[in-house]
Order: sequence, then structure tokens, then C-alpha cells
Amino acid sequence: MTSSRLSKGGRIDRSKSVRFTFDGKAYSGHTGDTLASALLANGITLFGRSFKYHRPRGVFAAGSDEPNALVTVLAGEVREPNVRATELEIHDGLVTQSQNRFPSLEHDFLAINQLAGPLFSAGFYYKTFMGPAIGPLRGTRFWMFCEKFIRRAAGLGKAGIAADPDRYERMNAFCDVLVVGSGPAGLIAAEAAASTGARVIIAEERPLAGGSLLASGELIDGRNPAVWAREKAAALAAMPNVRFLTRTSVWGYYDGNVLTAVEHVSDYKPNRTKGQPRQRHWVIRTGRTVLATGAFERPMVFPGNDCPGVMLADAARRYAIEYGVAPGNNVTLFTNNDSAYDAARTMSLAGVNITAIIDVRPDVSGTCRDIASVAGAELFLAHAVTATHAGKALSSITVQHFNAGTGRVSGAPRELKTDCLGVSGGWSPAIHLASQAGGKPDWDEDLQAFLPPEPNQNWVTTGSAAGYMDTISVLSDAATKGSAKSRLVLPPVEAPMLDASPAPVFEIEPSAKSQKAFVDFQHDVTADDIRLAYREGFHSVEHLKRYTTLGMATDQGKTSNVPGLAIMADVRGISIPEAGTTRFRPPFTPVSLGAIAGERYGDLRPHRLTPMHDWHLANSAKTYEAGLWHRPMIYASHGETVEQAYTREARAVRQSVGIVDVSTLGKIDIQGPDAAEFLDRVYTNMFSTLPVGKARYGLMLREDGVAFDDGTTWRLAETQFLMTTTTANAGPVMQHLEYYLDCIWPNLRVHLTSVTDVWAGSAVSGPKARAVLEACVTGTKVDNVTLPFMGIVHGKIGGIPVMICRLSFSGELAYEVYCGAGFGTKVWETLLVAGEPFDIMPYGLEALGTLRIEKGHVTGAEIDGRTTAHDLHLDWMLSKKKPYIGSAMIGREGLTDENRLSLVGLISMDNQSITGGSHIVTDPVPREPADSFGHVTAACYSPALGKYIALALVKHGTSMIGNRAFATDLLRDKHCPVEIVSHHMFDPEGSRMHG
Amino acid sequence: MAEPQSPLGASYVPGDHGNAAAGIGVTLRERKGLSIIQVTAWSEAIPAMLTAIGSATGLALQNKPGLGRVAGEKSVFGFAPGRYLVVSATPELETRLRSVIAPDLGTIIDLTHGRTVIRISGPRSEWVLSKLFAIDFSEHAFAIGNGRATLHHDIHANIQRIDDETFDVYVFRTFARSFWATLGHAAEEVGYRVE
Amino acid sequence: MIIKCPYCGPRDVIEFIYQGDATRSRPEPASNDMAAWNAYVYDRANPSGSHREYWLHSGGCRQHLVVTRDVSTHAISSVVFARDAAVAVKSGEPA
Repeated sequence: MTSSRLSKGGRIDRSKSVRFTFDGKAYSGHTGDTLASALLANGITLFGRSFKYHRPRGVFAAGSDEPNALVTVLAGEVREPNVRATELEIHDGLVTQSQNRFPSLEHDFLAINQLAGPLFSAGFYYKTFMGPAIGPLRGTRFWMFCEKFIRRAAGLGKAGIAADPDRYERMNAFCDVLVVGSGPAGLIAAEAAASTGARVIIAEERPLAGGSLLASGELIDGRNPAVWAREKAAALAAMPNVRFLTRTSVWGYYDGNVLTAVEHVSDYKPNRTKGQPRQRHWVIRTGRTVLATGAFERPMVFPGNDCPGVMLADAARRYAIEYGVAPGNNVTLFTNNDSAYDAARTMSLAGVNITAIIDVRPDVSGTCRDIASVAGAELFLAHAVTATHAGKALSSITVQHFNAGTGRVSGAPRELKTDCLGVSGGWSPAIHLASQAGGKPDWDEDLQAFLPPEPNQNWVTTGSAAGYMDTISVLSDAATKGSAKSRLVLPPVEAPMLDASPAPVFEIEPSAKSQKAFVDFQHDVTADDIRLAYREGFHSVEHLKRYTTLGMATDQGKTSNVPGLAIMADVRGISIPEAGTTRFRPPFTPVSLGAIAGERYGDLRPHRLTPMHDWHLANSAKTYEAGLWHRPMIYASHGETVEQAYTREARAVRQSVGIVDVSTLGKIDIQGPDAAEFLDRVYTNMFSTLPVGKARYGLMLREDGVAFDDGTTWRLAETQFLMTTTTANAGPVMQHLEYYLDCIWPNLRVHLTSVTDVWAGSAVSGPKARAVLEACVTGTKVDNVTLPFMGIVHGKIGGIPVMICRLSFSGELAYEVYCGAGFGTKVWETLLVAGEPFDIMPYGLEALGTLRIEKGHVTGAEIDGRTTAHDLHLDWMLSKKKPYIGSAMIGREGLTDENRLSLVGLISMDNQSITGGSHIVTDPVPREPADSFGHVTAACYSPALGKYIALALVKHGTSMIGNRAFATDLLRDKHCPVEIVSHHMFDPEGSRMHG
Repeated sequence: MAEPQSPLGASYVPGDHGNAAAGIGVTLRERKGLSIIQVTAWSEAIPAMLTAIGSATGLALQNKPGLGRVAGEKSVFGFAPGRYLVVSATPELETRLRSVIAPDLGTIIDLTHGRTVIRISGPRSEWVLSKLFAIDFSEHAFAIGNGRATLHHDIHANIQRIDDETFDVYVFRTFARSFWATLGHAAEEVGYRVE
Repeated sequence: MIIKCPYCGPRDVIEFIYQGDATRSRPEPASNDMAAWNAYVYDRANPSGSHREYWLHSGGCRQHLVVTRDVSTHAISSVVFARDAAVAVKSGEPA
């Protein structure tokens, strides 16, 4: 037992104990503990095994910068890996597990990797697993073969495979000022902004406000700074123009001052109320952003710096002050700057035993010397830690004389007993969000750190994020940055005179025999790896990062970035700013995919339902999704196959009458004095000549001359048309029309409105279709004179106003009956009753498809973005009297080449079905590469012909009619002999629909 | 004539839902029996069109983006240049509009059957709607009576603010059931009542 | 990215659909100048820096907009209705 709970102090609630488990063992902590603080209080120092070498690792930090202490949280079957123990709040029933160890944390099989150390250096995988130049494992194939074994041995926690039962949500927010962080800078900046009446959102990633004040030994306004912060935060939260979000990590900064954040709404609670999300994904659009994100303490790089018991000096202080946990019995500190002395002073006052301070600097201020002597700590100036001695916990360190100017270690080693070494290598402002927002950070010689770049959007940084390291200047900077107009009276601060500017020492370079010195703990990248990368020619920071994976783990190099750059700059003999830095990318902290999916988790798209949807379901329709629509595929009768069902339905249409829901067709209301002129321009054929009360089949091309969409358009009045489009193209056609009216012909007086949802459509088709209408339509006749082919009449069905157009997709005598969508089911049911004497048959998309394939009518399968009107035998629709969209380009060589694919029919010669997508070949089993000269676009069994048929696009299509070929499907190994026929396979004269 | 069928079907379940034990954050209801007419003015005729709408409905508007007004069951709001939804519980609305809107002012289309109107009211209505729509629902950005056109994923919506905590959401009918489910889901956290 | 629609105000980019280069000009409908048609349909410059683009506010007022945007910084310097820009071009004014 090294670490332990202090008898008093901390913001934990000692009256409430919380039970949780770690690696199957039960522990208890207090409300307010993180998993890290609670385990430290229980004397646990070993938290996990490292990524590559499986080295034992302990807690290193106390917040989101933690590289080592990652755990998996288990909830039933659900596992969330790589959660930072330093941020995970404990609750009753919390179950956690350490990672990357087998069979257990104490006895890890792959710890043997440590002995093979040199093997796993930078670029190891690239070098070792590149296969020979020839043979079955050539090149990267060898890597691919080995990868699965390697992946098992290395890595972070294992992702779960059970579905995540939790709820996540998105929240959209708007504000004038977003303040990120609620330390001293964030609180004052928010207060300044809010005092001017601005709408302010303040986001704090930890459970409570205060930031560095929570573990500070200073006095603000004569009081404990944690108390001052709590009261300030409460006052802010109570303001009507302020939203105070805690447990909310702002992780992304995007264009237009849009920031993303994840709020941990309930995942720290044992139970959730009904409907409460686990996490909420905030998308915040702000006028101005104040980044008060603080600074991260950097480690020193020295031999053996990764063993359990070595942690950041500030982390040690935070465990002592915030959580009442002594990080060790004999704490030592190793530093290149004054901030470790403040940690020593504060911890010592809290009852932690500080035995020594090792400082690389040859001299320190009187304040520092006083602190060391008051704390009773032995002061080693111009010294460095050159080794650590630890099994699963630190027992002692070796210190030696060190020359900060030359970087040389000399003199006799001295061993100091210690169970916790706090290290401080200086402070790096948390510039991640500023870097995401863009711009190159500036190097500050004084702080030996990168400061935020010049703002390129409306944001500012303040506090230690802006490089202000003492509380007094932090507060005054924050008041100005919060609002230039604010007149806040700032509280007095009592603090020791310390200087956080470090000596420029980043590394105590190991000798040949010494231990590894780690830079990136999470990815096990050592200082030697960086030097190796340099020797192998990876000099730029971008190459260094990718070759060594430095800074590419889940912590994004929060602790390793600057030390890594410093070592690289040193070997290259250049300065750190000359070496440059990489740009930070979102997310600042890991974000669960569930949070990003939000309310769309498990249900990715809305469902679009026709007005008759419930009727279809109640009448045994099997539906499938067509785009967003849910449409009946077949109406299943007991025991029927899909083919039997659609055959029955299609046969009924040809023999008597059927009814199908066509409400999904795109419908666009086109109104205005120039509506007819507009249609002449967008359709290949003429619409200005269409009489009122008539419909016409129209074809649209794209500007490049390729076919785009087809459908009928009805002239309802002189200046009003109802255009129908294919179901799939309703949106694209609308956009297409809007584009021309807005951008090309702004002077045409035409209004467009999507009315797809206004109308329910039922198509009644078959020889008895007219008889069905005659039995139920009132207010108009429907005979051949009143309602000829392509005619439109208005009447009523069951008292409901309807509009009926006689047109046919099936090739039969057919009518489309439109009524207000709210009456769709009523009209549909009335039509069914009227059709009862004729055994009217509802039919689905499969039968609809069968009927059109028999007739050779085209759909999106043939109008596929590659075919022309000629290819589809629709050239009769191309007007020669007027230009239209696509007319200029349609005559180009490539579009009139006789080698183009064109539409034909296919009939199966062996009475077997033809597979959609099959290739048309002459040889049944073509050699590689296949000598395909066409493909099947749609196939079915045709009840009218008693054969399996298909439509296909075939080279020299028309001249191939009468030839035989094979429709071959190599994936399913199906090779069907076919005869190529005209695409008009049934009733080519069209006598039935005109009847 | 028969009542038009609601697209919400069996998914419309009156009663309290979600975390209602802690209070009712929002109340949801489908507004039925409305005439929903879209009026679009030719660009130079917008002021004349607004006068015409005013004379037909008694709701006069200024020519500014997104302005609207509400009086009881009647309402009007703009959601695109020159384009307005005019809504009333009286079925003669379209006839009245046609009598005052000549073709040189613009065009009229009846969208009654194509839109489903869901009214959300209660202290948490801004909060619940903010889960779904990326627009600013705060009253200073979105004043009473005004309208917006926006979308939630693929679902287009017109939204009118009725009072400080009430909004009417107009969605395309064929998406209405899906939207209703999403809205109910979003409202569970604050507890909701379906009237 | 946020686009400030002249009607709807600032909206997220997800409400908009990119509709291509707004610097191209369509030949007269009856033109047989294939080079001009080819340029209109296919030729696209790919400039770094400021660029005029069509965006359709499909999730809002459904107007096409001409957005002048720096494609290297994403900074938007102007947004106007495409209809106004097109009318201005037709009447010989600079857009």
C-alpha cells in the first residue's frame, strides 16, 4: 500500500460510500471520486498494461490528458473501452476492467514483449512484415496474414459487439458567446460577457466548475478558491441569459463558429429517468468563442519515467487536494520550473509527506527554497532523475548531477526512496480547439510552449490557454476577453511569487544501459524511437508522427506533443518552432459514435408512408423500402412464393382488373403564365399544344443529352399543370426545375410546388377497369368519348372529389384516380367494393414491374444516367421544332454511335429465370475478362407469355433481335440461354390500352 | 363528406408519456380540420399580395422574411420569398383567397391534404424542438407569429411560433407518422401529454 | 459551415445542396456552338481562393443562392439569390 486516503480534505462526500468493482474485485469510494482517485485511495497503483510492450502502468494525470489509466466499463453485455479512469465518476454498481493484459493485470503473458524491446521500435511492423517480392505472401500480403495475430497482442481496449441499448440525443444551441472551460479565466470571462446581457453558454468538461482553482493553495477574495469558484458558478448559472453545462467536453471547432460538445447527461448515474439520454451531443453556433481551456502539464522524459507511481506533479496535487488522497507516503518531485514547488507547498499543507524536490536548474528563487524547507523536502538543484526502481509500484529513484546547459549527467548516482514521483516539465496551453479552428501556433520562448495562433474566426483565448500562468493576470485578461465593455471589479488574490517558465530541458537522455524513456505513453513511443525515425530519414513532424505514431493515440498527444517535438528538433539541430507542429484535429477527447448518431441511432432514415399504408398492412402486403418509401411488394396469400403471388396479381390485371397504390409518384404543381413555355423547354416534346383536360407522356434529358426522367404531365388549366415524375426522381426533378427557373430563366413567370403528399393515387388497370369506375364514379361519365386515352375528368367517388386520368403503365385499359390524401383509403376501398364483381385484385410493385417488363416500358433501371432517348427507343419524343434541355448535346458522336447499348427484350430458352444484372455473352462460361455485350436491367416471370423474360441493354440491340445469347451471372454461376426479342414483348400494337 | 384520415394512425396515443411522473414538459396534439393554402406572389407583387391576404383573412403583414401573424385558429406566415402559408379552420378559405388574388399577383395551391400540423406547447417546447431542428427557437430570434422553413434529416418542416411556448409544426403528410414518433421520442425526457 | 441565406438567415450547411459552379453561362437555347455548350456542361476551373458557387437552400426556402466562398479558408464573402444575380447578368449589370 503506497497511496491512501487522507484523514480530511477534498470535495468528496465522505458521508456517502459508493461500491464498485475493478477487475472483478469490489472496492468502495465516495461520491465525488473518479475511478482513479477511488482506486488510489484503496492503494491500487497498477491500472493497466501498455500498448506495445505490455509494461505495467499507473495513473499519470488527473483529467482528460490521462494516457495510461484507460479502463473498460461493462454494463451487461455492453462494453465501453478506453475510458479514462481519471474522468470516470464512480457510482454504485459500476463495473470496470483493466485493458491490454492476459490473463490478468498482475500476471501478463505478453509482458515478455519488454524483453524484445528493440524489436518493437518505430517502423517495426513496416520492416518485419513486408513479405518477399514474389510468392503467395508477397508484398503486403504477408502483413495482412500476420495482422490478425498482431492486433490481438497489441492495442487498447476491446470494442463490444452487443448493441448499445442507451439513448443519445442531439441538441442545437445558439449563443452570443461560448466560453469553453470554467476555471478562473472561464468564470470571469463568462461573467464579463453575461454582464453585458449577451447570451452565454459556458461548457465545463468536469463535474464542477473551478478548473485549477479546485486544487489551488492560493486565496481569492480571502477565501478558499474552490469555494469562490463554486459561488461564482452558481451565480452565473442563475442568470437567465447563461446556460452552464458541466460534464460537457467541447471537442470540435468547425467553420462558421460551430462547435461540438458531448454532455455526459447520465452515464455517471446508476439509474436513468425515463427518456433521459446517456449523452447529449451539442452543436453550438456562437457569435464569439472564448477559449478558456487551461493548460496541460508536460512530463519530463527520463529513463524509467513510465512506471506506476510516476505522475504529473499537478495530478499528485489534485489527488491530494480535490479527492483527499495521498498519492504516496514519500512523495518526491522532479521539475524544470516553479510550479512543482506550488504543488509541494499545497500537498504538504494537506498532510502529504514531501521528501525531496529534484530540479534541473542550478539555482531557484528564495520562494522556492522556502517552500522546500517549510515542507521538509530535501532540495536537489542541478540534478535529474536518471532511473526508477519499480515492480508494480515505485520504490525508489536514482538521482544524479545534471547540467541543464549541456544536458550531461555526471557524478555518483544516489538512490532516494519514494513511492510517488511527481514530474513537471512545464506547461502547454490547451490550444487544441484554437488549432482546429485554423492557423499555426506561435512558439513562446519564455514558456517553452506553443501559444494559440492568430484567430481566423471570431474567437479569443484567455487564461493559461493564452499563456497567462499566474492567477492575477489570468483574471484581468479574462475580464477583457469576456467583454471589452465589462466593468468587473476583480477579487484580490494571495499567491506565492512563482514563475512557471521552465528551463528548456525536456529530456534526460538515457545512456546505453539505462531504461526506456517514454514520450508517448499511450502508444509506447520512446525518445529513442524518435531518434531512430530521424536516422531513417523521417525528419518532418508530419512524417515523424506517422512513422512513430507519436501523438496518434486516443489522447492525441496531450502530454507527448511538445516533448516529442523538442527531441526531434534537438537531433536535427534546429529550434522547436523550426521543427513545427502538426495541426490538432477533432475530437479533442474521444466521442462515442452513439452520441454523434444521436436520435437516429438504430433508425437511420424516416419512413415515408402512403395514405393507404395501413390498409396494405392489414391486407397482408409484404412491403419493401424504395428510397424512403415503404411500398407493397406483393399481397401474400398463404403459402405463396413471391413469384406465385405476383404472377397471380399480374394475371388478374390482364384478365380482369387490378388496383395499385401509385401515391408515391412525384407530383409537382406548375403554375403561371409561362408554365407551358417552361415545360416546352424542359421536356423533349411539346406541351404548349396540350389542351386543357389532357395529359401527355413526357421525357426530360440532362443538359448533356442523357435521359433523365419520364412521366405524364396533366394540363389542369391554361396556366396550371400537374407534372408526375418517377418515385425515385421526385426530388432530383424538382431541383432540376428550380435550378432552371432560378439560375437560367429568372424571367419566366412560373411557380413550382411539390404536391406529392397532397394526392393519393390509385391506378385501376385491366379490361374491366372502366366497368369498375362506372360502378362508383359520380358527376362525370367515364366512357371512351368523355374520357379518352390521356383524357382527364373530375368527379366523385363515394362523395369524395376525384380527378381521373386515363393512362397506362401496364399496357391495359387503365386509369389513375387521384383524391385528397386524407381520403385515399376511403376512395381505394370504394374502388375495391366497386371491383368486387370483377374480382378486383390489389397488386404490388412486383406485379407492377412484371406488367411493365412485358410491355417494354422503361423505369429507372433503364433510365440509368447512361442511356439516351435513342437507346430506349424514345427518339420519337424528341421534338425537332424547338430547343430543349439536352437538345444541343444529344447529337454528339458518342451519343449516336451505333455500338451503343440499346433496349431489347429477352426470353429464357430453358424455362429458367433470368437474373437481374446478368451479362449478355455469346459463350456461356466466358473467360476472364468477360466478353460482355450487354446486361439485364429487369427480369420476371411473365404470366401473359408463360415464360421467363427480361429487359436488357444490348450492343447493336435492334439488329440483334432474333439472335441467341446467354444471360450469365458469374456470381451465382447461372447461365441462361436466351433469345433476343423486341422490348415490346406483349401486345406490341397497344390495342389493349386504347380499347 | 367524410372526415379526412389522419396519417398518424395508431401511433397517436392520447395520454401521458415518457418521464411524465416528473411533470408534463410539453403537450402535443394534431390540429385537424384546417384549410392550408399556399400563396406565392410574383416578386414585384409581394406588397399587393400581402394586402390581398390581409383583406381575405384580416391578418395584414409587412414584407419582411419570415414574418407572420396568428389570431385564434387563423394564421399566416412567410417561409420563402413571396411565399406564404395561409391557414384557417374555415373551408371557404381558398375561395376567399381566390376572390381577392388575381393572376397578376401570384398563384394559389391548396396543400390541406399534403400537410400535417402538430402543435407543441409547454415550458419545454423550445428544448424539445431544439433536439430536432437546427434553428434558434429563443423568442428574441423567433418572434411570435413568425414562420420558418427548415428540416430534420429528410423531413421538411414549416414552423410557426404561436406564443411564447407554443409552436405549430407543418410536416409533409407522408412523413408525419415518422416525425411524430421522433418528436415523441425527443419529448420523453421532459414528459409529454398527447391530447 | 454556416451559409447566411438572404431569406432564412444563417443555417447549417446540411440544409443546402451544392449545385455547382456559378461562373458558367448557358449558351442561347438554340445555339449550335458546340464549344460553348461543351464549356457550359463540362469545363470547370478549380481555382484556389474565392469562387462563385450555386447552393440550393433545399432544407429552407428552396431558393438557389450564389455563394462567394474562399475554397481554401471556407470564408464566405457574399450570398445573394441566384435569381437576382441571373437577372442582373441578363440586364448587363455586374452580378
